[in-house]
Amino acid sequence: MNKSFIAAFAVVPFLLTSCVLDEKENTECDIEEVSLHLETPSDYFYHDYDTLKTVISTESDIIFIIRSYAEIQSVPTTLRITSGATVYAVSEDGTEKPFINGSAVDYSDEKVNKFRVVSQDKAWSRNYSITVRHDKPSEGYLFIDFESYYLDPSGKYYVWDGPDFFNDGTWKNGNPGFKICKSSALPMDYPSTPAIGAGPDGSDCVKLETCDTGPFGRMANMRLASGSMFNGIFDVSNALTNPLKATQLGSPFTHKPMQMRIWLRYERGSVFQDRNGVAMDNVLDEPDIYLVFYRNEDASGNKIVLDGSDVLTNPNIVGLGRLPHHVNPDGSDQLSNDPIHGVTDQWQEFTIPVVYTAEVDPTILENKGYSINFGSASSWQGGYFMGAVGSILYMDNIQVFCE
Amino acid sequence: MNNKVILILLLLLVPSSLLQAQSVPPTPDQKEELPLKGDGGSWQKWGPTTGLNGGGFIVRAGYVIGGTTPLPLPAEVRKINEFSPRGGISLGIDAYRMFNRRWGVSLGAHFFWEGFHTSADVKNYYVWLEQEGEVTKGYFTGTNVTNTEMWGVTLPLLATFRISPRWNVSFGPYMSYYFKQTFTGEVYDNSDGIGYLREDTPVGTKILMSREKPTSYPDDFADHMLPLNAGIEVGFDWKALRHMNVFGKLDWGMTNIWSSSFEAISFKMYPIYATIGVAYRY
Repeated sequence: MNKSFIAAFAVVPFLLTSCVLDEKENTECDIEEVSLHLETPSDYFYHDYDTLKTVISTESDIIFIIRSYAEIQSVPTTLRITSGATVYAVSEDGTEKPFINGSAVDYSDEKVNKFRVVSQDKAWSRNYSITVRHDKPSEGYLFIDFESYYLDPSGKYYVWDGPDFFNDGTWKNGNPGFKICKSSALPMDYPSTPAIGAGPDGSDCVKLETCDTGPFGRMANMRLASGSMFNGIFDVSNALTNPLKATQLGSPFTHKPMQMRIWLRYERGSVFQDRNGVAMDNVLDEPDIYLVFYRNEDASGNKIVLDGSDVLTNPNIVGLGRLPHHVNPDGSDQLSNDPIHGVTDQWQEFTIPVVYTAEVDPTILENKGYSINFGSASSWQGGYFMGAVGSILYMDNIQVFCE
Repeated sequence: MNNKVILILLLLLVPSSLLQAQSVPPTPDQKEELPLKGDGGSWQKWGPTTGLNGGGFIVRAGYVIGGTTPLPLPAEVRKINEFSPRGGISLGIDAYRMFNRRWGVSLGAHFFWEGFHTSADVKNYYVWLEQEGEVTKGYFTGTNVTNTEMWGVTLPLLATFRISPRWNVSFGPYMSYYFKQTFTGEVYDNSDGIGYLREDTPVGTKILMSREKPTSYPDDFADHMLPLNAGIEVGFDWKALRHMNVFGKLDWGMTNIWSSSFEAISFKMYPIYATIGVAYRY
């Protein structure tokens, strides 16, 4: 009796912790993936894999791009949504009816098809649109002046329009990640901001600044955020777990870039710090600018997308142009105290040739088998959270000349 | 919120009877009342050495096990993966005085080091973190690991009831004062690889978490823990030998461990710790 009495006491805390209540219904309501089912996808799409689109959590306008001459009608469509949620097709007059996976959706004439996903607990919903657009032929010459920008829907940071062939027509940067760390930051406190009237011609330009990420950045051991501008996708979901992979770099492009001209001005931050925030003596921060041209499909037809970890080293790269830097014997970036990039605190136009290490196949080129990636940073090692807080790169009037 | 409760308990803990709990020789009257044979002999044999309505001291050493938990466990907690005690030592002394054969009162001071480690799977668990004016908030789904340790002293004021010559039970309020508290933890993905925060609302940006790069609680959580806690203690003593007791007790905290201004954890948490041990009875 005595033993069981004692045992009863010892068991009390376990009883308390083991009384798990019934699970609540899901509150999330995302479209996670969209796939279009076509008998002959290559008649419409440049790549077979383009019929499947993974939707990132911040995305709500889902756009598929088809060949400019393709005529698409109704296509059976499958949506993968949050478990327990319900998806409704929303007609033009606003009426909703449950969407059954595999049913045909009319994508003719670039029609914007609206959907609403309602969570299992009915308390939350999200609106989506799915559109199939025709590819617009791009010119073999690009001119980018960063004059068109606006606040993102959250009103926290700026977004810039880019050329049409960019994934959703906008430039990407680390601002969405900075927002997670620094809730108090105003739009002009972000690493990538417009600089009004500060361009070499007196118009607006882009200001990239390496910023301290504050207490949450320290907690995540990501103490600084380099200002950046690139084309591709920034999936902020991975910003904490795998920041280099959060950047999916490049957009399919049908011209072979030969040379980039760009106006630059640089103010270097004073103290270069390593990932742990420790100052590194004898190392000066450097800006970075590069243009990468790469094959975006492997031999078996799988999609290749470069990310922050291999944007300058992936074997699928065929052409590369970059601001000059010191390199180690193995070709990796070498930190130094005598940078050779040549960018000063006065505006200068730089010419960066694209150097090819492999042939570009004209047929593959025409079928969007290559992607172009433009990258820029106020701290060239910012992807590894190293750099000098306060480094500023001003950038404007980019020209890309193609063959 | 609980300042009043704590004050009342403090007052309760300074009873005049304590001072009288020292050995008082039984009066001749009382001696006459007590039969020395049969059942009564047993009561006297196991009773206070100074007589059935005397007093004395009990020195206790025990093993503490328990947890600090929301009650009831919120529905956001889906599964307890791990639970293990941390520390688990209690050393204390009680002064007691019996008013008659059955009833008495006891006041103690028990020094403790207690705590636990737990890993729980949670779903849609609201978190609100503020650091130097920056706020991150939202709904977390994944695995949440918590470690807490507390060093302090508990002062119980108990009514004791002798249900048989060798069995005592006790019940009453207590107050704990913590010399030091720690509260650390981290969040990451669960065993199915699911771990993320939905920023602000369940439809907000999804930020993945992984066990390769766990996200730790901010360092200052323990700073938001209150130094005082009040609750109810129930216990028993079994007189195993003439001077040795085996005892068990449960301290059930009734006041939130968190300061009311602390918003990082959206529910109140209560310390609930049991002690088993042996005691020397003077």
